[in-house]
Formats: sequence, C-alpha cells, structure tokens
Amino acid sequence: MDTELAEVRALQAEIAALRRACEDQPAPWEEKSGVQKSFQAIQQFSSEGWKSSKDLKSQLGHLESELSFLSTLTGINIRNYSKQTEDLTGTEMTEKSIRKVLQRHRLSGNCHMVTFQLEFQILEIQNKERLSSAVTDLNIIMEPTECSELSEFVSRAEERKDLFMFFRSLHFFVEWFEYRKRTFEHFKEKYPEAVHLSEGPSSPSMVIRSASQPGFELVIVWRIQIDEDGKVFPKLDLLTKVPQRALELDKNRAIETAPLSFRTLLGVLGIEAALESLIKSLCAEQNG
Amino acid sequence: TAGILAPGLGVLAHLERLETQMSKSCKQSEEPQSVQAQEGALGTKIHKLRRLRDELRAAVRHRQASVKASIANVEPNLAVEMSEQEVLEEKLENVKAVLQAYRFTGLSGKLTSRGVCVCISTAFEGTLLDSYFVDLVIQKPLQIHHHSVPVFIPLEEIAAKYLQTNIQHFLFSLCEYLNAYSGRKYQADRLQSDFAALLTGPLQRNPLCNLLSFTYKLDPGGQSFPFCARLLYKDLTATLPTDVTVTYQGVEPLSTSWEEQRASHETLFCTKPLHQVFASFARKGEKLDMSLVS
Repeated sequence: MDTELAEVRALQAEIAALRRACEDQPAPWEEKSGVQKSFQAIQQFSSEGWKSSKDLKSQLGHLESELSFLSTLTGINIRNYSKQTEDLTGTEMTEKSIRKVLQRHRLSGNCHMVTFQLEFQILEIQNKERLSSAVTDLNIIMEPTECSELSEFVSRAEERKDLFMFFRSLHFFVEWFEYRKRTFEHFKEKYPEAVHLSEGPSSPSMVIRSASQPGFELVIVWRIQIDEDGKVFPKLDLLTKVPQRALELDKNRAIETAPLSFRTLLGVLGIEAALESLIKSLCAEQNG
Repeated sequence: TAGILAPGLGVLAHLERLETQMSKSCKQSEEPQSVQAQEGALGTKIHKLRRLRDELRAAVRHRQASVKASIANVEPNLAVEMSEQEVLEEKLENVKAVLQAYRFTGLSGKLTSRGVCVCISTAFEGTLLDSYFVDLVIQKPLQIHHHSVPVFIPLEEIAAKYLQTNIQHFLFSLCEYLNAYSGRKYQADRLQSDFAALLTGPLQRNPLCNLLSFTYKLDPGGQSFPFCARLLYKDLTATLPTDVTVTYQGVEPLSTSWEEQRASHETLFCTKPLHQVFASFARKGEKLDMSLVS
C-alpha cells in the first residue's frame, strides 16, 4: 500500500508539472504577443499593406527613371550619396537670430571610365538678411590615377574648393577623351597596317608607319589639357622619326618644319582630316 | 483560424473533465473505507492518474509541435513581406538622396509633363551663388519653353550650336557662361561692399559684368593720385579679365617705384580675382600704417 501511495504522490506531482508546462506554452490561439501580433499585422497589411507596397514600387519606378534620365542628361552617374548635418549655432548666435549649420557630404559615382569619390563640407550661415553657403573643404579621389593630366586638375579644384568646376571640367575632359579614343580607333580600323596604337585606343599617341618605307615614323601626340580656369582643350603635336640619310637628302627641310606645318594643317582641316591626310601621305608611296 | 481553435478547446475540456473526475475520486478515497476497498480504490486511482498523466504528456507534446508549426507557417511569410517593404523603402530613400545630390554637380533637373526642367547652379571658388533654370520640351526639334537666364547671356547662340545635336554640351556650355557671369558679378559685388574705402569713385560696370572701370588709391588718406583701372573680360566663360589697363591720373609723371607698382597692378588684376587683389592692397596698407606708427 505504501508503494502505491508513493506512486500516487509521484503521479500527482508529475501531473502538476505537466499542467504547468501546458500553461507555459500557450497554444497559438491564446498568445497575445508574438504570433497574435503577427496575425494582427497580416490583417493590417492585407488591407493597407499591399496598397502601400504597390505605391512604393510605382514611386520607386518613377524616381529611378528620373535618375537615369538625369544621368543621361548630365553624363554624370551618381551612385551613392550620404549627408550629415551639424548645428553649430551657439546661444549667442541664436539671440542675434544667426544660424550656423555645417553639412558633411559624401558622394561617389562615375563619368564614363572615370570614377570619383567626393567628400566635402558646406557651411551655411543664415542671418536676418540672407543665407550664405560656402564649401569649406573638398576632397576628391579619382580613378584611373594614370591620367596625370587629371591629377593636377584635381588638386587645383580641391584648393579652390570649386565643386562645380570639377564636374564641368570632368565632363569636358571625358568628352575629349572619348573623342580621341573614337578617332584613333577609326583610323586603326581604316588603315590597320599603317596605324599603331602602342597602349591601345586610350593611349595619347598614334604612330603611323609605312611598310614600304621602313625607318619612317610619324607620331601624333594628342594631349588633353585643363588650364587654370578649368577649360579643357586638346593639344596635338607631330613628332617625326626618319632615317639619317633621308634627313641628309631633305634639302627643303620639310621634315624639320613638319611639326609646325602640322599645326597649320590642324587649323585648316581640323583634327580628323589632318590626321587622315598625314596617314595618306605616308602610305601613298606604298600604293604608288 | 476556427479550425485551429476547436481541437485545442477539445483537449482542454477533456483534461478538465479528467481532473474533476480525479479530484472527485480523491475526495471519495479520503472517506473511511475497508482496507480492501481502499486498496481497490488506490489501484483505480493510480490507474486514472496514470491515464491523466499520459494524456497531459501527449497534450504538451502536441502543443509544442503546433506552436512550432504555426510560427513557421505564419512568421516566415510575414518576415518576407515586411523585409520586401523595408528593402523598397530603403531603395526609395537612396534614390531620393542621389537625386538631391545632383545639385552638387552644378546640373540637376526634374522631369516635367513636357520634358525636363534643368537647374543650373553657380558658384565662385566655393561660395555658392545664384541658380538658373531652363525648361526643355522634349520634341523634335528640342525647344526651350521657359528659362531664367539673364538676357545678356548668349543663350540663343549656345542653343543654336549644340541644343539639337548634343544636349549635354549645350547644358555644360551654358553652365560655363552662367558660372563665369556669376563669378564676375560676385567679384564686383565684393569689391563694392568690402573695399569701398579704397575706391575713390563709384564702380562702373555693365550688366554682363565683363567691363569694369574704377579708380582707387592704396593709401586713402594720402596725397598720391589715384590709379584708374579698366578691366575687360573678352572671354565670357572666364572669371579673369583678358585686357587690363591701369593708368595714373596725375599731371606729373610717375616716379620709378610708382611706375613699378602700376605695372604690377596690371599683372595682379590679370591673374587674381578682383576682391583678392584688393584684399592684398588692404593688407599692405595695414603694414604701411604700422611702419608709420613705429
């Protein structure tokens, strides 16, 4: 009888524990927090949620198309932008109704093959009469870094804190860069034997050689320069490489004056026609 | 949801019935009975307790499983939907921010029903200045519907050259002109506002701010005659003058040192912004004063 009583007590204890376990794990339909909330959330979502999701999608679509339009319009593709604002207004300033705000901006993107990363600060001072904004710090990182013509220009822009000039000149530089590349590629395609691009179509120089006139070489160096004002302009030069004997025979000093004549030719015919005429002149002997 | 509720209620109710039965039989067993009857009662009691315990065990297991299942059913979907919304919202914020960022390139715009309204911002060496807008109608040919470009900027000329063939070039070219005009205007304004003390007469300027004429003295209180400067900015896309003449408005010829100064001033005006040149004059003037005192 004792063992049976003991068993009864044990069973009762276990039953009590199991009851407690049942209470600790309420069934899904009983719980107020967690899953119940999820249910409520779904109900809300169903009535308003789907609509706002659709709204979001269409809004996003509209803005994304605006962004791609702007990117095409300006030729500049901004991919990331973040901003931090710091209110520097002191109590003295507030009394005089002057407000001073420092903005820290970071943006990155690309303009064709050039990628840029900018960090700059703008200080805004608002007094009773007007609001003045000035760039107080500008840091620019650009890739590719091999464009030495660009690095000088970048330091100048940073020094002057001239944000807009940076983008303007960048745009024109890239335009010229692409034009130079297209022009060189065009001539390479048209005269594959004669035209040589040592560093590929992006190289700043084009070499013209004639198979029938070995030893003769015309090198056209086409640099893209950015001046103090941020103006971008091309600078083309002609270098000649001729065998010693040809120099001796050259009574009219045509070879010596070639670089100068080239400049004149550029002025008269423009870049493409001038280059074409040079190629033809060297290769004409080949055909004739 | 109704389907989930029913079985649960059933199990609970069943367990409660068992409980009531148990407590009834427990109470019954407390009354004095013969040992045999007690033993028999205990046996039954144990039997019933065992049954109750087994059913409770099963119920606990069942609840654990169904809670897990329901959470797995309900929350993943919700999690997916909510994260989708969050992703969309984040993307939207990002796109809005990048659109805002375009004004730092000097060129930004908004789509309109007819085309696009481009906003050109100007600045001079870090100081942000006025903005101008050009409202373009996208059709063939591309047309300027509306703009706030000052009349003395050669907008029609630039449009004639580039608008139809290369809209980017048109916009950046216009940017150049507007920024240069803004910069020249800024320099002239600063000269008038900050260095009026050094000017001996009013600053004469044209609306385009590419022709400036003024007279100035390095030592305002002094006896020397003022210099007369004429600045011509032939290049409308530049903020520095192309032609500078500084003349001396005196009867007697200039001494060598003054002549040197005059020549150096001509160079200064050609190479540095106007207000910065005068700032250097003011600093020199301060130095001169100090030497007089000592």
